[in-house]
Amino acid sequence: MLTIKDCRLVWPDFTADYSLSVENGTLCAIVGPSGGGKTTLLHMIAGFETPDSGELTFDGQDLRPLSPAARPTSIVFQDHNLFPHLTASENVSLGLRASLRLTAEERTLVADTMEAVGLHRLGHRKPGEMSGGQRQRMALARALISRKPLILLDEPFSSLDPSLRRDMILLVDDMRRSRPVTILMTIHTPDEVADLADQMAFVADGRVVASGLPAEIMQGPWVYRHRPESAG
Amino acid sequence: MIRELIFAATLLGFATSLAHAQSKPPLTVYTYGSFAGKYGPGKTVKERFEADCACELNWVTAEDAGSLVGRLRLEGQSTKADVVVGLDMNLAAEAKALGLFAPHDMDVKNLSLPIQWADDTFVPFDWGHLAFVYDSNKLANPPKSLKELVENPNGPKIVLQDPRTSAPGLGFMLWMRKIYGDQAGAAWTQLKPRVVTFTKGWSEAYGLFTKGEADMVMSYTTSPAYHVVAEKKNNFKAANFAEGHYLHVELAGMTRTTKQPELAKKFMAFILSDAFQSAMPEGNWMMPAKDPASGLPAAFNDLVKPAKTLLYTPEEVQQNRRTFTDEWLNATSR
Amino acid sequence: MKLPHPGSLVALAIVALVAGGFIALASVDGGKPALLSIGPYLVRVLLFSLVQASLSTILSLLFGIGVALALARRHFPGREVVLSVLGTTMVMPSIVAVLAVLSVYGRNGWLADGIRALGWTGDFSIFGYPGILIAHVFLNAPFVARIVLDGLHVVPAEQWRLAAALGFTPGQTFRHLDWPVLRAEVPGLAGLVFLLCFKSFAIVLALGGGPSRATLEVAIYEALKIELDFSRAAWLAFIQVAICLSITIVLNWTFTRPPVTTTSRPPAPRPDRVHRGLRVFDAGVLLMSAAFIVPLLLSVLAGARYAVEILDTDLAAAFVVSVAIATVAATISCLLAVALGAAARRHRLALRSPRVAALYDLLPNMLLAVPPFALTAGLFLIMRKFVDPAMAGFVLLPLINGLGALPFAYRSIAPRQLLAGERYGRLSDSLGLSGMTKFRLMDWPLLRRPFAAAFALSMALSFGDFGIVALFGGTELRTLPYLLYERLGAYRLDEASAVGLLILFTAFCLAHVSGRMSYADD
Repeated sequence: MLTIKDCRLVWPDFTADYSLSVENGTLCAIVGPSGGGKTTLLHMIAGFETPDSGELTFDGQDLRPLSPAARPTSIVFQDHNLFPHLTASENVSLGLRASLRLTAEERTLVADTMEAVGLHRLGHRKPGEMSGGQRQRMALARALISRKPLILLDEPFSSLDPSLRRDMILLVDDMRRSRPVTILMTIHTPDEVADLADQMAFVADGRVVASGLPAEIMQGPWVYRHRPESAG
Repeated sequence: MIRELIFAATLLGFATSLAHAQSKPPLTVYTYGSFAGKYGPGKTVKERFEADCACELNWVTAEDAGSLVGRLRLEGQSTKADVVVGLDMNLAAEAKALGLFAPHDMDVKNLSLPIQWADDTFVPFDWGHLAFVYDSNKLANPPKSLKELVENPNGPKIVLQDPRTSAPGLGFMLWMRKIYGDQAGAAWTQLKPRVVTFTKGWSEAYGLFTKGEADMVMSYTTSPAYHVVAEKKNNFKAANFAEGHYLHVELAGMTRTTKQPELAKKFMAFILSDAFQSAMPEGNWMMPAKDPASGLPAAFNDLVKPAKTLLYTPEEVQQNRRTFTDEWLNATSR
Repeated sequence: MKLPHPGSLVALAIVALVAGGFIALASVDGGKPALLSIGPYLVRVLLFSLVQASLSTILSLLFGIGVALALARRHFPGREVVLSVLGTTMVMPSIVAVLAVLSVYGRNGWLADGIRALGWTGDFSIFGYPGILIAHVFLNAPFVARIVLDGLHVVPAEQWRLAAALGFTPGQTFRHLDWPVLRAEVPGLAGLVFLLCFKSFAIVLALGGGPSRATLEVAIYEALKIELDFSRAAWLAFIQVAICLSITIVLNWTFTRPPVTTTSRPPAPRPDRVHRGLRVFDAGVLLMSAAFIVPLLLSVLAGARYAVEILDTDLAAAFVVSVAIATVAATISCLLAVALGAAARRHRLALRSPRVAALYDLLPNMLLAVPPFALTAGLFLIMRKFVDPAMAGFVLLPLINGLGALPFAYRSIAPRQLLAGERYGRLSDSLGLSGMTKFRLMDWPLLRRPFAAAFALSMALSFGDFGIVALFGGTELRTLPYLLYERLGAYRLDEASAVGLLILFTAFCLAHVSGRMSYADD
């Protein structure tokens, strides 16, 4: 279980204070207005931001002293997930070995993972030669192959068009059913994940305002207090 | 940014209107930069000439003698120059060939030049002998002759100017040729190991010498006077060479295209007057072409007086410059 | 009929201007330009120039890249000042650089004094390759460092976070994050530095030690100023342009420029900054470069002792003239860069013809190969039919300086324009934006800072330029570098050093402004 308790981060113009628990094996959607601190929450779990105080544990292990690479997390950003000079399979392989020196077995694993996200035969292409959807699939494959139990998705599909977005969300759903992973995903279109997410957390002003079943969260008064951002 | 543009435009406009807003007739005189600069004689000359010409003298400058001739060539018949002050004798033939200069019709017989002047186009306004300048605190026994300098393998290190880009550089190349004739190439080969470098111009060479990179620098016999008068230093000397020294004469001429022929003639006559000539020694650090009645400043009386003057005519220079330069290149560029 | 793109017109105008200048120069005597052989000496000089410029370029790049990487990883008090200093050395008038090198490394320089104080009794000379290379590296390596550092700053923050999350070693960080940036920046930079060194002339003569160490530019200068053989000058200039152009093309072909990527997120810290070995390495690199650059700069600073003596109306006037010319020149170069950048972008994105776009990228660099003296003379010959020759300087000086700064302005402006096109091109097309509206809404927000940075850099370059002022400077067009040479011509070496310092200080202030602009995130 991921436990976040009173984690405070202070900047001159912004203060965040998060508390949240997420059960293993679930998909938790993080929603809320932009600028409310959704990304910061993920960055804190991944280790790019360090809380000044509070508790941050995963399965009882304190994450705070760990470097980003040593944490049980892997992350997918909205953009710039891939190194433009490496091919698709090299980019995926980075999740396995940063040195890119793979054994035969590992190479098969890369191919299998690419296939699982629907990218077989595209392994030799460079990111610049692929579509936006294919690029994000690649980033997902890299997150999967690293076998980290906690996958953080930061607005991963915002730049894709709606029909493609739904396909990708289904792919994510499929991923967590076939593997023992916990997924945290920020998204600014809550409707699109309402039927699939196990949990939804509403983040605004640097706080987790409410957390619970998607249906409850989407009905709550906080939705009106914090006017939803327009899609796009 | 638009504001900056307007500012620049205004400034340019201002400069232009200045150039046109003159009630007195203007006389445009081309010269080289340091002549009209802060320490040059330009300001004195302008004041003294304007005192009784009822005109306005405007200096227009280019970097050096070479740039002056280059600019005249580019401007051709449309040049605004009425008089040009600061041509170099070694470029005189090229300048004359431009066909832009008018005869001066002046009496140039009794000048204080070491040679008899006979040219009917250009008037000399100052002169000096080329010489190696050294610091007597550092170099106790300078060579007594060019031959000694060239032939002593343990002689002092010298810095010279490139004859392709610099007037004293060209002058020294001609000096070598005067002494060694057809053997000049061999002499250059002999001298080369002690030449620190050949710089683009006089300024770089003198700067290298001042920084202590060389024991001697190619300059003028008048250079020590600067150090005496302006810096109160007596340790800079010009070496006197037994074979004689090459002469450097600076020239002035009036253009055929001038719209102010009377004023231009008046200025040409003014050049040989005491008012102009007395500004040369401590303004341009050169010898006046006609000694002023007041005599020379003390520092100039103590200067080295070469026993003999060496000189090629402008026409000889024009004809042979390419050959001499190639000979110099062959000898020094290995 | 549809009007051609303004950028294409600008490109055409530049080519026509240069070609027209050459033709006017070559045919000044009414005859056809004589096809002359350049002779064995010039062939030797060319070979020397190639070697000298290549070595200078390689050393400047190595040194500059090392410093850039070390500065990217390290933050320390005064870092901003260091960055501004890096943008300063390149605009130094050549004689200031020569004298600085000699003050430190000369026969009686600080280094020699230092070793002599330790009891050594020899004599050494830096004339020849050592002197030339020291001066060229001193002038160019800091500039390389600045540009590379700017490049490293545009790596998206996400990729730095990814590097941290994937646990990259310093080696892997270099390979996947730094190297792609270097590969994108190095060809253009190498071309730029090579051309600057290939043409460098006063430095090569002063520190070369003999006429075997010269550049083609010497011959061009000789033809223009001593022989007055303009067609020979045009022919030699043409050879120089041809050589420089082929080198630039080869460099651009060997390395293709990957697409630009930038992010709107605030910069993320580099994961390799905590690596202990790299700390030692960076400290070494920074100390070594400080040991190289600081004494040279100090020797220039020594000019401050004579600062009081140069304060007069001449100086004030020259300063104002320099600022005015630099402002107009910078305006010209930045506007041309925007026009060319827009044309290159159109070919790259809308018309899908990257080869044509590459030609636009080449054009500004080609201008560097054109000897400004020859170009000025040629343009003057054309202009004198239409313009009062007395006014020619007012037009030519800013124009030539503006063209000279164009390659530098283009470097900072064009990539951002491409980025704006990649980000908002489709959107603005779909909204039917065009002309100035498109520029204002789509380009300007992203372009504002690089434009201001390019403007400041162009001003600095024009500020330090002596070049053609030699021909067209005058009492009314006296710039600071002109004043410097005028003082030198009157034996006033001390005052000249103070003027040199003033030029550098102004360049430093401009570099400071330019640096603030290009680093601030947008």
